[in-house]
Amino acid sequence: MSVAAARPFAGFRIRPRPRTTELLLLALVALTLVVGGASLGATQQVREAVRTGVELKAFDFTPPDARGLLIYLAALLGVHLAFVLAGRRTDQVLLPTAAMLGGIGLLLMQRLPQDLVTQSFGGTELGLGQLQLAWLLVALTVITALALFVRSDAWLRTYKYTWAAAGIGLLLLVFVFGSDVNGARLSLSIGPISGQPSELLKVILVVFLAGYLSENRALLADESTRIGPISLPPLPYLAPMVAMWAIALGIVVVQRDLGAALLFFAVFLGLLYVATGRPSYVIGGLLLFVAGAFVLYNLFGHVHARVDNWLDPWADPQGSGFQVVQALYAFGRGGILGVGLGAGLPLIGGRLPVPAVHTDYPLAALGEELGLVGLLAVLGLYLVLVSRGLRIAAAGHDEFRSLLAAGLALVVGVQAFIIAAGNLKLIPLTGITLPFISYGGSSLLANALVVGLLMALSDRGAEPPPAPRDPRRRFRRIRLGKARA
Amino acid sequence: MDGFLIILWLVRIAFLLLIYAFLFAVVRVLLRDLRAASRGPAELGRLTVLASPRGEPQPGASYPLDAVTHLGRDVNNGIVLDDPFASAEHAILTYRGRNWYIEDLASTNGTYVNGVPVEGLGPLGFGDEVQVGEIRFRLDRGRG
Repeated sequence: MSVAAARPFAGFRIRPRPRTTELLLLALVALTLVVGGASLGATQQVREAVRTGVELKAFDFTPPDARGLLIYLAALLGVHLAFVLAGRRTDQVLLPTAAMLGGIGLLLMQRLPQDLVTQSFGGTELGLGQLQLAWLLVALTVITALALFVRSDAWLRTYKYTWAAAGIGLLLLVFVFGSDVNGARLSLSIGPISGQPSELLKVILVVFLAGYLSENRALLADESTRIGPISLPPLPYLAPMVAMWAIALGIVVVQRDLGAALLFFAVFLGLLYVATGRPSYVIGGLLLFVAGAFVLYNLFGHVHARVDNWLDPWADPQGSGFQVVQALYAFGRGGILGVGLGAGLPLIGGRLPVPAVHTDYPLAALGEELGLVGLLAVLGLYLVLVSRGLRIAAAGHDEFRSLLAAGLALVVGVQAFIIAAGNLKLIPLTGITLPFISYGGSSLLANALVVGLLMALSDRGAEPPPAPRDPRRRFRRIRLGKARA
Repeated sequence: MDGFLIILWLVRIAFLLLIYAFLFAVVRVLLRDLRAASRGPAELGRLTVLASPRGEPQPGASYPLDAVTHLGRDVNNGIVLDDPFASAEHAILTYRGRNWYIEDLASTNGTYVNGVPVEGLGPLGFGDEVQVGEIRFRLDRGRG
């Protein structure tokens, strides 16, 4: 009997490979989240006792939604086991880091008032924490599927223009059928499902840019056209840069989505720099952006309002500046060590001081409850994701894979930076989500796509073949043969 | 109540410390990985030409070796040997596990390691001399 006949499904052979690093890191994640949950549960009970005046009788460190937390941790273990069974040599740091961020987000959502977002499925009402858990589970499934089954990048590389067309189509769809949220046309509803396509669009953008730049890299790095002291690449190859700039500004004008525009343009410039290594592109792009932003600021009311709000939120602290001011107060209350999970965010006049705390301002809540120390740790986690992505890019087999990995890493990093800086009033606030922490299905799914693709790209391929069996004996025979001769 | 609050404070701080412990562990993994990357990918080995009367390969030339390198008179070989005693597909150098091996592909005139003819597959150490016809090579350690 031949070997092939004994294993009819050669492609589905299970060859487990231990992933010790990942398991240890995940164990640390689990411990951290359980301790965080305990802290949250106890704090809520103390606050309840103080509010009602009832003396607490026993120490109780049960997390508020222990079952949800356990489901999340079990799902993480399940993903890890799936990776072990699949036996691919993929990255072992990405999953624990994303899981840590997602877990902190889950604790935050369990801690916020549960009626902030509710949705009912077949009679059961799901609150904020449960919905976030459901989306996290979906995101983990996406990561697992991509990391296990994406082996070739041809389907991304070959159809880059198709992807770009799909992205632009998505944009037009939102423009025509989208509904307005907070003055920005962001979300698209198809039947019962609604989502923010701009989250998906950022992944598509990176795929297209990686394909385009890897193909035309040499031409773009060339300096053939000279206009005075500035040397430019052949003019036709500048077209996508200008088109990108126009699309970014178009998003601002049409969708009123400042965050997405900023994110897309920043990622575009970053990738352009990665591909060509020419800082002049970045400087030129930034100048274009500043010029465009200035014109938009003067032309459009919503841009104007955002910037004015940023420059002086205290001009109208009860109205338009309310969120910004309250977020700053929250950071201030947090101090260095924070007030503790569950102890922050006092309601003001029966409403939350920061209405969009679960989507736009999770960092303000974290800053208050975990303090500067916790905030820096969260930012450190994003830094780990970015550095890991760039490391995968550096180890890529070819330019497309390298650029894709670099672009995916940049998307997460730039998005986290933009929203963190907006929360801290470093730049005007733009309504994008904090990756992995903010509430929202689209955001979690898009970031799961990023992590899943990065993991698939990090596959180091098959192991080198083992050494042949005992070659020394043959060699000895050669020696002996000579001696006899 | 006060005892409870102190424990609660400790749990709070423990949570923060654990996040940092995680970060520390991750950074250690990243650093280890970076160090490994800065060492490699080292060349597996080099083949230096000691003597080549007909000039192909060039005497004194040094070829960085892949895990599998074919030697022979045919132009499709990784290293082409212009020697009347070399066969079209003469020998293969392979790197497996942590060692180099040379395999003679049933060539007409044979392959010699340190003057000893190779039968089928034989190990090859750094510094060993390989001879095919009048061409002599030496296996050297890779650079970097």
